[in-house]
Amino acid sequence: MPEKDQFQTDARNAGNRLVAGHVSEDPFAAAFKATRMPMIVTDPNQSDNPIIFCNNAFLRLSGYSDDEVIGRNCRFLQGPETDQETISKVREAIAAGQDVAVDILNYRKDGSQFWNAVFISPVRDEAGAIIYFFASQLDFTNVKSREADLAAARHEAEAEVAKHTANLRSALEARTLLVHEVDHRVKNNLLTMASIVKMQARVTKDDGRRQTLMSVLNRIEALSTVQRKLFTLDDVSKFDISEFARELVTDLVDATGRKDIRLTLDLSPLLVPAVKATPLSLIVNELVGDAVRRGLSDGGGDIHVVVRRLNGHFLIRIEDTSEPVEPDIENAELGQMLLEASARQLGAEIERKQEGRKTIVDVVLLVDDHQENTH
Amino acid sequence: MKVMIVEDEMLLAMELESEVEMAGHEVTGLAMSRSQAQEQIGSSKPDFAFVDIHLMDGPTGVDVGRELAAAGIPYVFVSGNIKKIPQDFAGALGAIEKPYTMNGMKNALAYVSAVIAGDASGSPPVSLVLAEDVTPAKPQS
Repeated sequence: MPEKDQFQTDARNAGNRLVAGHVSEDPFAAAFKATRMPMIVTDPNQSDNPIIFCNNAFLRLSGYSDDEVIGRNCRFLQGPETDQETISKVREAIAAGQDVAVDILNYRKDGSQFWNAVFISPVRDEAGAIIYFFASQLDFTNVKSREADLAAARHEAEAEVAKHTANLRSALEARTLLVHEVDHRVKNNLLTMASIVKMQARVTKDDGRRQTLMSVLNRIEALSTVQRKLFTLDDVSKFDISEFARELVTDLVDATGRKDIRLTLDLSPLLVPAVKATPLSLIVNELVGDAVRRGLSDGGGDIHVVVRRLNGHFLIRIEDTSEPVEPDIENAELGQMLLEASARQLGAEIERKQEGRKTIVDVVLLVDDHQENTH
Repeated sequence: MKVMIVEDEMLLAMELESEVEMAGHEVTGLAMSRSQAQEQIGSSKPDFAFVDIHLMDGPTGVDVGRELAAAGIPYVFVSGNIKKIPQDFAGALGAIEKPYTMNGMKNALAYVSAVIAGDASGSPPVSLVLAEDVTPAKPQS
């Protein structure tokens, strides 16, 4: 194409004139040629603002030869995925004779893409007319792809977290539902067991049998009271033996309807691991039951229940003043067995003292902090 | 007094019926669902009711409670999960938590029947959680 050849010749001549203006040892020209930063100069006074000069760094970046670059407008670096708005921005800045800095997707000769941080600036003569445009380029594809990789990784991680959170949430919901269902079943079954025993007691004509059934019922109901008190604290792994004792004792004494059995309580909150709730409660139930039975038999009496810490250990004391009477042998024997088994399981010490009409039973539960804190 | 028992576990309902009768009251009926309870509220006019929250047709005990309250019939919830009771207690006097003990039920029944007979002098038993102790207190005038 002769016309194109003419353009290129004109461009090259303009480039030569530019270089000729500088002596060969001009440090600025030498720096321009040798720098690692790709740079070009265009001539806006020629048709279509062609490149009239480029350095080796630009040729390395674009993959073109000097011949392929000189005389062409810079737009040959653009490709199908280059952003149109960015191109417009550059065009408008050049038309207005202003500086412009853009990040633009460019294409090499081999068609591969690179992210180009372009800075374009007009060069004016002494009269202020624009004689050249100077453009520097910077390939920041690595930074861009690292950014993209990071963003992708972040999105992936966020999606993964969201998925895990949803899984955990649904697992937690299922677990909560199951715990409620199991708790409900246990409570209903305890009440059903108690009801069956009560029904049998109602049906039987034999006083001895009825007594035996009521003695069984008493222990089942102690477990019912334990179950009601489990999982009521914020820390579901703990059980407040004081709260249990208060309810059990008051229930028992109220139900006697006897005004001559006087109950006093000295209870401080005492949290034990939930695993200890059953044996400890059975102990309290036996001792309190024993005191109430003795109070019932004679002319009433005083019952005093203490639950508190003692030298770092747990103390449960049941004091009563009533005439010791001959208990129901079978019931007393069952009570003794339950006391022994529970004390052995807990490693608790039970000490019984008799002072005249006063019976004092101390249950000391040795707690080491480790045990207390773990379960 | 005439007592209605709303409970879907028949064994528990029958046993409670015996307790109520032994305490000298009359049981007007056992209802296992909301519709059965509705029918009995209309036909037998009880003075008082025990209401379980979970019935045969789901957690409809609260609805039964509201209907009792609307009809001016005092009642208590009997439930294994008293946390499920609405904040306003749906007009109930209180709640007895399952599994209640024989003594606990006896004490609660004695207290409730005294209150309904107009004698509020006694102190409530531990087995009965009173609505007024749980619901937010009204501002004092």
